[in-house]
Amino acid sequence: MKVATIWIGVVMMLAACQPKQQEAVVLPEETTSIDLSALGKAKLSEYNFFDGPLKNLLPAAGVMPYSLNSPLFSDYAFKKRFVKIPSGAKVKFSADDVLDFPEGTVIIKNFYYPEDFRKPEGACRILETRLLIREKGAWNTLPYIWNEEQTEAFLDVAGKTIPVSWTHYDGSVRTVDYSVPNINQCKGCHLRGDKIFPIGPSARQLNGSLNHNKTLPNQLVQWADMNLLDGLPPISQVQKLASYEDDREPVEKRARAWLEVNCAHCHREDGPAKTSGLHLLASVTDRFKLGIGKPPVAAGKGSGGLLYGIVPGKPDESILQFRISSTHPGIMMPELGRKLVHKEGVELVRQWISQLN
Amino acid sequence: MNYRFVVLAGFAMACSKPNEAPKTWQTIEKSLQTQLITITDGDTLDLPEGNFMFTKNLTMDGKSNVLIRGKGMDKTILSFKNQTEGAEGLHISNGKNIVLQDFSIEDSKGDNLKVNDTKGITIRRVRSMWTGEPKNENGAYALYPVLCKNVIIEESVAIGSSDAGIYVGQSDSVIIRNNLAYWNVAGIESENSKWVEIYGNEAYDNTGGILVFDLPGLTTYGHSTRVYRNNVHDNNHENFATKGNVVASIPPGTGFMLLATHNLELTDNDIANNKTIGVGIISYELVAALTAGETAADVPGGAATVVNNYKQDSLYNPYPYQISVHQNRFSNSHWFPSLDSDIGKLFLTESFLNPPDIAYDGIPNPERQDAEICIHEDEKTVIMHLDAANNFKSLSKDHKLFDCAGVKIEIRS
Repeated sequence: MKVATIWIGVVMMLAACQPKQQEAVVLPEETTSIDLSALGKAKLSEYNFFDGPLKNLLPAAGVMPYSLNSPLFSDYAFKKRFVKIPSGAKVKFSADDVLDFPEGTVIIKNFYYPEDFRKPEGACRILETRLLIREKGAWNTLPYIWNEEQTEAFLDVAGKTIPVSWTHYDGSVRTVDYSVPNINQCKGCHLRGDKIFPIGPSARQLNGSLNHNKTLPNQLVQWADMNLLDGLPPISQVQKLASYEDDREPVEKRARAWLEVNCAHCHREDGPAKTSGLHLLASVTDRFKLGIGKPPVAAGKGSGGLLYGIVPGKPDESILQFRISSTHPGIMMPELGRKLVHKEGVELVRQWISQLN
Repeated sequence: MNYRFVVLAGFAMACSKPNEAPKTWQTIEKSLQTQLITITDGDTLDLPEGNFMFTKNLTMDGKSNVLIRGKGMDKTILSFKNQTEGAEGLHISNGKNIVLQDFSIEDSKGDNLKVNDTKGITIRRVRSMWTGEPKNENGAYALYPVLCKNVIIEESVAIGSSDAGIYVGQSDSVIIRNNLAYWNVAGIESENSKWVEIYGNEAYDNTGGILVFDLPGLTTYGHSTRVYRNNVHDNNHENFATKGNVVASIPPGTGFMLLATHNLELTDNDIANNKTIGVGIISYELVAALTAGETAADVPGGAATVVNNYKQDSLYNPYPYQISVHQNRFSNSHWFPSLDSDIGKLFLTESFLNPPDIAYDGIPNPERQDAEICIHEDEKTVIMHLDAANNFKSLSKDHKLFDCAGVKIEIRS
C-alpha cells in the first residue's frame, strides 16, 4: 500500500511538472443589447429597396443593379450590387475616381453563397447586406446581418462570424467561417483621409456591361441615357479597368487590376496603408512605390524572411506574393475581408511577377 | 508517518512554480466592440477588472476626447491569444485626444496596440506583452503609434515583441518617458518622427535598447530628437526578428542605434553591459549593403537581380548628421562582442577585449562635407571611426575626429 502510494505520488509529481499547455478556459459572452437606433434603421426591410420576399432581392422602382469589372475577393462570396439615386438627382462623372453620387444616394451590396456554385441561380444563402448612405454630404456605412430563415436582416455594428459551406466550381464541398465586418472594419477599407467613400463604382469599374453580359448595354452609357449621369465623355475616351477574370487580357493588366481592387483601397497615397510606402493602384508606375526592390517598413512576421516587396522574376522571394498567399492574421493581406486564399488571384500575381524584369 | 502527507508535500514543492492555476477568461468581445463604436465623444469607457479573451481585433475609429481606462495593468487583462482575425489587438484610428491607461494587452497575432492618424494620444501604464519566452512567432510591435501628432507614452511596459516594443513611426511631437522595455528585438524605436523626447526609460535584455531611425520611401522624414537619462543595459538578447525587417540587422549587444537621422542629442544616459556596442551611428548605406550582402550569399544569382531601390526616394538622406553625444556614463563588463553579426566580428579584431562604447560608420555624404558627428565623453570611452566606405582602412579611435561643438536640441513645446 505504502509503496503504491509513493509510486502514484512520483508519477503525479512527474506529470504535474511537465511544462504543460494549459487549455484556457473561456466563458461565453452574456448577451447585452445596446440601442443602435441613432445609427440607422433596425431592419433592412424598412428601407423598401426590394419588391416581394426580401430574399429574392428584386429591386423596387428606382433601385438599379450594377456590377464591377473587377470585384474584391471576399472568400468566394457572390455579390449583388444596387444603387438607389434620389429621383431627379444626378451622378457626376469623374474620370479616375469613384463617381460623385448625389445627397441621399444609397449603395446596396448583398453577400451570398449559392449552395452549388455551378448553379448560381439556384438556392442561396444571403449573409449580409452592406449599405453606404450619403447624408449631409458624408457617407455612412451600415451592416445588416440576415437571419437563418432569410426573411430579414438586422443592423449589427459589431460584426459576426457565420460558418458557411457550399459546393465549389470543381464539385468539392468548401467551408469558411465567414466574417461580417464590424462598422469600424468597414471604415478600414472605405476611409480616404478621414472621410468615408465608396470604393467600387468608379467609371473605370462601371465601364462595361452588367455582369459582363455583352447583350446588355454599357452601364455608363445606360446611366447617361437614363439621365442619371452628368458629364460622361464619349465612351471610347473613358478609362477601363481590366477584368482580372478575362484571360484574353494581358497578364499585367489583369494582375494590376486584381492588386488594385484587393489592395489599393488601403495602399494608396491617401489610404490607411500609406504608412507602408507601398502603393498599388493600377496607375502607379514608380517601381519603388510598387514594391520592386522595396524593403518592408513595419511588416514584422509579414516579411516572411524576405527582403523586398517584389523581386522581379521571383515571386517566391517577393513579400507581396507571400502575404497574399497567407491566412495568418498577422501576415495575410488584405488584413480584412478574407479567411481563404484567392487561389486564382494569387496565381495571376505569380505569373505577373515571374514576367517582370 | 503519513506517507500521503509526504507525497502531497512533494507534489506541492515540485510544482509550486510552473503549475499556476489555469486562468479563466471572460468574453466581452461583442459588447466591448459595440461600445467602442457607439461611445460618444468626451466619454470614458471603463474596462472592468478581470481576464478577457478576444478572437478578433478591437477597433475604435474617429472618436474625440475619449478615455479608455482599466483597473490597472495587473488587473484588467485583454488577451488575443485566440485571435483568428485582424492584424492587431486594439486598433485606434483617426482620433483626437485619446487616452488609454491602466490595462494589459497580450498575445495578439499581429501588433498588440496600434494607433494611427490620431492627434493627441496618451498611453499610460499600459503593459503590452507576448507571454512566454521571447520568440519569432510573437507579434511585431507592442505599442505602436504611427502617423500621429502629440504622442505620450509613459510608465508603460513592453515585453516580447519580435520587432520593436515601443515603436513610434512617422509621428510629430512625441514623448516617450519612464517606460520599461525588455525581451524585445528593439526595446524602444523612434522612426521617421520629429520633435521627439526619449527620457527616463529603462531598456534591458533586448537585442538593441533604444533606436532612432530614418528610413526611405515613407510619408515623412524624422529629425530633432533628445535622448537623455535613460538606463540602457544588458541588451544582449539574440535577434529573433523576421529577416527583411530593418531591426533584423541589429547586432545583439547594441545599446543605442542611430540610423540616418539628424539633429539628435544623446546625453546623461547610463549605458552598461551592452556587449557589442554602446552607441552605433550609421547610415542607411551600410544597412543596404549588409542586407544586399546577405542576399548575394543566400540567393542563387542574387545580388545582380535583387537591388534595394531606396535611391528612387530622391528626398531621402541616408547619412546621419548633426549628432551630439556627450556626458553619458559607459561601462561594459563584457570582453567580447556578440559574434552573431559581421560588425561584432569586426569589433573583436579591431578593438580586442574591449568592444567600443561608440562607433560611427564614417560613410561620407558626398553632398555634405562635415557630418557634424560630435562626441564628448571621458578619455577612457572607446570611440571608433570605422571608415566603412573604404573597407575599414582608416579605422581610428581618435577622439579628436569628433571634437566639434555639436547641436543643442530645443524641443518645441
